[in-house]
Amino acid sequence: MEQADEAELVRRVARGDRAAFEVLYRRTAPWLAVRLRRRCADEQIVADVLQETFTAVWRAAGGFAGAAVQGTAVGWLWTIAARRLIDALRSRAKHAQPLPGAAEATIAPAAEEIALAGTVGGELGHALDTLAPELREVLRAMALDGLSVRETATLLGLPEGTVKTRARRARIVMRAAMGKTDGGFATATGLG
Amino acid sequence: MHASTELISRYLSGDRSIGADTEWALEAHLESCPVCRARLAEATRSAPGVSALVDRGWRELAPVMAASRPASARRFRGTAWVTPAMVPWLCGAVFVTLLAVVFGSVTDAGSVLFLLAPVVPVLGVAAAWSRGLDPMYELTVATPRAGLALILRRTAAVVMAVLPLLAAGSIVVGVSPLVWLLPSLACTLTSLALGSVIGVERAALGVCVVWLLAFLVPVVARLEALPAHAPWSVPVWGGASFLAGVALVVRGRALTTLAPGFRGLGEQGGL
Repeated sequence: MEQADEAELVRRVARGDRAAFEVLYRRTAPWLAVRLRRRCADEQIVADVLQETFTAVWRAAGGFAGAAVQGTAVGWLWTIAARRLIDALRSRAKHAQPLPGAAEATIAPAAEEIALAGTVGGELGHALDTLAPELREVLRAMALDGLSVRETATLLGLPEGTVKTRARRARIVMRAAMGKTDGGFATATGLG
Repeated sequence: MHASTELISRYLSGDRSIGADTEWALEAHLESCPVCRARLAEATRSAPGVSALVDRGWRELAPVMAASRPASARRFRGTAWVTPAMVPWLCGAVFVTLLAVVFGSVTDAGSVLFLLAPVVPVLGVAAAWSRGLDPMYELTVATPRAGLALILRRTAAVVMAVLPLLAAGSIVVGVSPLVWLLPSLACTLTSLALGSVIGVERAALGVCVVWLLAFLVPVVARLEALPAHAPWSVPVWGGASFLAGVALVVRGRALTTLAPGFRGLGEQGGL
């Protein structure tokens, strides 16, 4: 079981394997919790989303295994978590409670140059770094987290029009910075 | 090439001084690298905040695991073709067809069936994609690049379910099914192609409304006969179907991530 990858673990969960579910939880819950915390400052919401995500995984692991879907199990987990986060924020807004948002991001030059297997090349990385934080937040929500315009608006507490404008501006800046170099980032985010 | 333990602990402690490009690269990397996820899991043991969160989550899951069993893969296998939401739609389609047949036999206004026929598969497509009707939506379709194939399979299921019904109904009434087949195809393909831009439910409902307004209103008001009956309409509807099909294939290639309808399967609002 220790060698099984996450997709295999999900398949076992679909067959009712509790041990596999625990292994899956231990492997992926820390990653999900940290990633969610960096998008939402409210610990209670993060705790709820974490619990709802894994509840959904427990109940419907067959949904990943059974339907003829492509994509990784880990990506599937993130998709569920992201949607639950949006739902939680949306119901917060509906009850007119203040939205937590993420903590203020500081703009700082990259403290260390780390090449991580061709995900973000040098020039792109620099462009991303100099992008204004509000544009970067929108870009991250849409390109990295895979949210739609409406979901990004809920996550960041902005009107949809603002999200679209910022997405467009971010795209212009990134395209200008990219020039004709490196298709990796471009293809991954659909900018290229 | 992996992330250093130092970077991982800074990431997990919520350190904001990690550069944006590094954080982005790290998050993208974590999604695909089990080694670094394992390092992150290891590092959380010495981070009290996250560790407490994770442990509490597990404790809260215990009653859930005791109360319910995972649904088997078999139950979900059919969702590549049909969703539970399509059942109410099918009942509605049967009801509407029966109504149209009765109306057609009684009043000799067989064209009413023609009016309604293209709308029925379009509504079926909307039902197959409606997030509100399908609580398991994200669990059955929650993957990047779910694909044009999935959409076409579901649409094919919708069409196959309703076509014999409508055909039988229209023969009973005396209207040739061929009259409404091409418009049905055009409407269905248009709503899918348009759905790649504005979301399938909205597009499907929009197409239905436009169809009903364009054809039902003048007939009810007795202004003019249905223009679509004319012989030239075959190339018109055939051409419309072809164009919509091309648009769908073109848009279908821009699949990236998931959102309600399949707006998110293409570009995300211009990004």
